[in-house]
Amino acid sequence: MQNDTALISNLKNKDEAALSQLYDAYAPAIYGVIIRMCKDEQHAQNILQDTFLTIWEKSHQYNPDKGKFYTWAYRIAKNKTLNFLRKDKKLIQTEDLSVYKDKEESITDNGDYLQLKGCLKQLEPHHQRALELVYFNGLTHREAHEEMDVPLGSFKSYIKQALKKLKLSYDKAIVWFLILIEVIR
Amino acid sequence: MDKAYILENGIIEQYLLGELSAEDELSLERLLAEDEELMARFKTIEASFESLAFENAVNPPKQVKERLMNSVKGSETKVVSLPKQNPFKNYLAMAASVAAVLLIGSIWMYSQLNKTNKQLQIVEEQNSQLLEDLNGLKGNLETTTAYLDILNSAETKQYILKGNALSPEAKVVSYVNHKQKSVIVNTVDLPKLDNAHNYQMWADVDGEMINMGVIKKDGPLLAMNYIEDAASLNITIEPAGGSDHPTVSRLITNVYL
Repeated sequence: MQNDTALISNLKNKDEAALSQLYDAYAPAIYGVIIRMCKDEQHAQNILQDTFLTIWEKSHQYNPDKGKFYTWAYRIAKNKTLNFLRKDKKLIQTEDLSVYKDKEESITDNGDYLQLKGCLKQLEPHHQRALELVYFNGLTHREAHEEMDVPLGSFKSYIKQALKKLKLSYDKAIVWFLILIEVIR
Repeated sequence: MDKAYILENGIIEQYLLGELSAEDELSLERLLAEDEELMARFKTIEASFESLAFENAVNPPKQVKERLMNSVKGSETKVVSLPKQNPFKNYLAMAASVAAVLLIGSIWMYSQLNKTNKQLQIVEEQNSQLLEDLNGLKGNLETTTAYLDILNSAETKQYILKGNALSPEAKVVSYVNHKQKSVIVNTVDLPKLDNAHNYQMWADVDGEMINMGVIKKDGPLLAMNYIEDAASLNITIEPAGGSDHPTVSRLITNVYL
């Protein structure tokens, strides 16, 4: 998204100010993913904190040649959330299943802010759904195509087409964004 | 895995979503480094994913950041070894004060021991002194008792030797017991002599003076040698330690038995 090279090298030198700035820049995006996956604010907050703690502690493992900082952070957050959900499901199964269902429903009812926004909304519903499943729900391609009840090949092409359309919208959006920044300056 | 396969099967997407195995990740990374077109594709998809997240961002509560920054601060300051050193210092101080108390205690006890030892020594000295005195007294008592036996005996005869012109104040009481063959004299009333002279007692047997002994200066009662068939008792003044023959010119008293 932005040129974070200096910030990240400061982070690797255990500069708390760098961590603070990176948190401000990336935490909302990461939190958006976590909370849509686990659907529980309290746990999502803990996982977010834990994610950034890992970013702080393992910053030396991040290699900019292999991808953006966001990608690295996203994968840490996704793994942590999936681990939590697996543990949580095990716990829930020994208790009353309806509790979990109620919880899930209540959060989707109240969670208007969890409704997907932006260019994603301009996609066709099945493209939107496909991206949502793999990206915001943390499902693998295999799990997601079963969930949507379409063949894996079709599902993969949904994702590809969705991303292609997104790219077009983003290119436009970025132009507008750059103009906006120029105007503000 | 080749380029066509990657593009066909959405491998880049799966890579970005973290769905690939470690093995597949490595081979894709290798291909990306070689193929610019693939790399460009990768960057496009990555950017789209990122934009997707930023568009759907949700602001977390401020406490999360506060907690994060606190825990990070905590982890950094934990390195400071103060809390580790403190207990050690405390133990050291405790050990030092215990040692100091023990040292002072030992010094005090040592001085007490010395004092007690000295007192014990004094008591022992006094004890042996008393024992000596007691022995002396016992001896005195024995001799006095022995003397008293003789003095009280019915067979004992008392003779009084009065001083002549040489020593008019002299008066010696002598007790003679012929049965027990003993002579005791009381010399309380003999005038004191200088250190160079002693009184000496003699018995006259057939005109010859036999030595009965030197009269010692330390006690009032004194046992002398008993001489058989003595006709008289005589006392002379002799040079210190006594003589073999009496100095008749210095005879101060005599009595006939």
